[in-house]
Amino acid sequence: MAMAPRTIGAVAALALLIGARAATGASWDERVFSSHVDFDAVAAAGAAAIPDLIARGKTLFKAKFTTEDGAGRPKATQAIVPTKRKFGVNPAFARTSGPDSNSCFGCHNDPIEGGSGDIVSNAFVSEGLESAQFDSTDPSFSSERHTIALMGAGLVELLAREMTADLQGERAEAVKQARASGQATRADLLSKGVRFGFITAQPDGIVDLDSVEGVDADLIVRPFSRKGVFTSLRQFTINALNAHHGMEASERFGVRWTGSHDFDESGVADAVTPGDVTALVAFQATLAPPTVKSDLPDDWRVAAAEGRKSFESLGCTSCHRSELPLKSLIFTDPAPYDMAGTLRDGEVKKNVAIDLSQYAWARALPKNDKGESLVPLFSDLKRHLIVDNEVNALANELQAQRFVERDVFLTPRLWGVGSTAPYGHRGDFRMLDEIIAAHGGDARFSRDAYLALDKSQRDDVIAFLRSLIIEAP
Amino acid sequence: MKTTAVTIAAFAFAAPALGDEARLKPAGDVPLFHEEATAAGIDSVYDGPWEFFVGGGGAALDCDGSGFPSVFLAGGKNRAKLYVNRSTRGRPLKFEEKPLDIGADPKLLDNVVGAYPIDIDGDGHMDLFVLRVGENLLLKGGPDCTFTLANKEWGFDGDAGWTTSFSAEWEKGQKFPTLAIGHYVDRDAPGSPWGTCQDNSLFRPQPGDKPNYSTRTPLSPGYCALSMLFTDWNRSGTPSLRVSNDRQYYRGGEEQMWRVEPDKPPKLYSRADGWRHVSIFGMGIAEGDIDGSGYPQYALTSMGDTRLQKLDPDEGGRGEYPVYRDIAVETGATAHIPYTGGDKRPSTGWHSEFADFTNVGLLDLFISKGNLAQMPDFADYDPSNLLIGQWNGKFAEAGDLAGVAGKRTGRGALIADFNLDGMLDILQIDRGSNVALFRNLGARNDGGDPLPMGNWIEIRPVQPNPNRNAVGAHVTVKTGTRTQVRAIEIGGGDASGHAGWTHVGLGTAERAEIRVQWPDGEQSYPYRVFANQFVVVDRTKQQAEYWYPGR
Repeated sequence: MAMAPRTIGAVAALALLIGARAATGASWDERVFSSHVDFDAVAAAGAAAIPDLIARGKTLFKAKFTTEDGAGRPKATQAIVPTKRKFGVNPAFARTSGPDSNSCFGCHNDPIEGGSGDIVSNAFVSEGLESAQFDSTDPSFSSERHTIALMGAGLVELLAREMTADLQGERAEAVKQARASGQATRADLLSKGVRFGFITAQPDGIVDLDSVEGVDADLIVRPFSRKGVFTSLRQFTINALNAHHGMEASERFGVRWTGSHDFDESGVADAVTPGDVTALVAFQATLAPPTVKSDLPDDWRVAAAEGRKSFESLGCTSCHRSELPLKSLIFTDPAPYDMAGTLRDGEVKKNVAIDLSQYAWARALPKNDKGESLVPLFSDLKRHLIVDNEVNALANELQAQRFVERDVFLTPRLWGVGSTAPYGHRGDFRMLDEIIAAHGGDARFSRDAYLALDKSQRDDVIAFLRSLIIEAP
Repeated sequence: MKTTAVTIAAFAFAAPALGDEARLKPAGDVPLFHEEATAAGIDSVYDGPWEFFVGGGGAALDCDGSGFPSVFLAGGKNRAKLYVNRSTRGRPLKFEEKPLDIGADPKLLDNVVGAYPIDIDGDGHMDLFVLRVGENLLLKGGPDCTFTLANKEWGFDGDAGWTTSFSAEWEKGQKFPTLAIGHYVDRDAPGSPWGTCQDNSLFRPQPGDKPNYSTRTPLSPGYCALSMLFTDWNRSGTPSLRVSNDRQYYRGGEEQMWRVEPDKPPKLYSRADGWRHVSIFGMGIAEGDIDGSGYPQYALTSMGDTRLQKLDPDEGGRGEYPVYRDIAVETGATAHIPYTGGDKRPSTGWHSEFADFTNVGLLDLFISKGNLAQMPDFADYDPSNLLIGQWNGKFAEAGDLAGVAGKRTGRGALIADFNLDGMLDILQIDRGSNVALFRNLGARNDGGDPLPMGNWIEIRPVQPNPNRNAVGAHVTVKTGTRTQVRAIEIGGGDASGHAGWTHVGLGTAERAEIRVQWPDGEQSYPYRVFANQFVVVDRTKQQAEYWYPGR
């Protein structure tokens, strides 16, 4: 078995940290990992290490992982919990069940690195447990998913963390009150103006969760993936590295949880270190959020202004919240609500902290009267039913994902939607008008109201949405 | 129970003696424990003459509705004590002694050997079966950790003797549990102690609206039963009674298993049934499905090697015949001599219990160890074992690394999550000194702060009476392609038992699917739950409920 290349990361080596070639490596070396990022060293270095860390993350994001880096997972499946293949060996690449790419950039490239992708780069999501290998796009095997742009992902994760803290705090208070009073205590689950139903705490400590809406029963707001099932960029990154590239992070697939340093039997031990993952997280977390197109021609500008008003009056913003307030711009890694298998606070000496306020795009966010930054994501970070009996074009999945029913999805963030066609969780709607018309379920009222508008009014809404872009050179 | 010297030659060791140099190193996490009995406020010593060389157990139970396990501790010649758990979640342990007023002569709390928690009358308050030298006690639980002697009320004559083991089950159609009571030597019999093992007893509830244990069925022959366990060994839905016996005092005896079928007299499994002769110094039974086969394995402690029995796939079929083979050697679980400290004399094993101390999703095996009483042929320095389950199916010793080794005289043990932090702690009852209370701090980290462990879930299945705590149920927890099974049982170990949360380590899984096979055999809904939660699975409800501690 080849051993992973040496780890670097001392403060003095920061200039090398990131992207350095090992002394033994030739200048044309194909490998990505001639060195690894040392998490503790980066954390100890503090803010000084962040720029190089992000740059290293960008390099890794665009890198094409090689066999000698550990790419491919001959004996492991794409499952997010370490899972061995029952028999046989995975091919080097498999377009459907994966590994289906050797680079993050392979899918997240439109219009720039970290962005969305064309439908040709759709992923085929399956649990990777039974029937882990499949060569069909039939939805009975997998759920086909369009690539989500990662712009502004750091802000999104911070919002979700604060929402989780709010909801779990409300639960804790309800439990406390119920025990103290001896009476059942109802508590509304409300965060940043988004209501997630309510709970009822019983005096014996049991909490009735039947009326929780749009969030998991553990009240962790999971803002990533189409279904809202990933807690953090870190968790998403580890999942994706394994599923799509066969690059297994030691913090999930390493000896602590599998008894092996090379669970997938790729021949490379501990292929991805915690520091490497942190670099990828840092890059994604600091991607500037989408913006509003600034150089609109007059007709577009006028139409977009009207469209925005309609977007609100139609009720679209009941789910696609124009903005959510964010208290803190300090992004810490590891994240506070990740579980075992994704690096946690208690597993490091010190967090890596990135102050997003150092970036002009963060400072430019408008503030409310509490000094909170208003993040214009056009989402409530809540899950909703998106189809009904009559409007069911989006009912094209057959598999529930991680306890989320098949017709229920996280409200997509519409910032950048003007740059990320095609649309829908599968990316099979070419035009915005088509995807709006496909909204059923919880969005049926707004969709019907939209369709009731005359053509020019609908065009205004489209003009508004198309003005929400990802800046690209 | 062994009071005289036994030569090493008398032992047929199943494995060569392995020294430190041959130890399998744990590949993954090793838990780190901190002993804090005194700091936690516990001062309880199990001690006494010959009768109290064995036993030394206790019970862990939620007696105040807080969800935190309190402990009832046997004292032998000293009075038994109750310590109410005052801990805060995730914090160092804290207990407060609550004087016991059982509404009867307090001397009845002397000569206590051990105890098991069980809600006999189904009133929602956990009761206690207290094992004694003399009359045994049924203590009816009440609110706020109160207990009242209920022998008379429940028609129980105490089944006087030298009681060293207990188990219970709810037989089909019964409102109240069937109690199995295991005895040791009949000290009044001619020739005692050799060849004078007292018969054991089965008390089936008599018809009526309240418990009535006025009728005893002898389980004869008795072979000095130091551990008993009703266990559904073949997943038939009807548990049998395994009995682990001390060969020191029986003649012609062996390990036993009784077929206990409703409305039929108990009947021993025999050679004709496939039951094989095994003769050990049986001291504690542990049950665990360590290989995911669906059929439990049994760890049997002894003096010398521990046996680890697995249903023989060739001769036992799918549970048609109780034919077991020993896999202790191949799995590295013999634990026959001290693994550290240099004493190469054989070990004396007592309480055994499977549990996942690292939350990685594999069962570990804890064995309390301790010299009987200055027996020169046996190890004097005899550290308890913490055999960490490995992904290759073997066990790796880590008791010393984990901090549970040391010169103690272990007997019974209570394995429970005493501070509800998701990690299992150990209370080991030592003979002649205060208990050891090992708080699980997390995974060893090369001298650094302990690391958080894997994900976990703690489950409490409940159903309408009878048998509200679902004794006899099997809880199945599925994560990914792995399935773990826990049986809800009363009995086994060394005179020690716990009730309450059933702990399952989940490794890296964030979610799990729980199914419960209720004691009557009916399968539950699949309950989808998130990791790191306390979950109440109520048979009457379609969704699992989450529970949160109040402090």
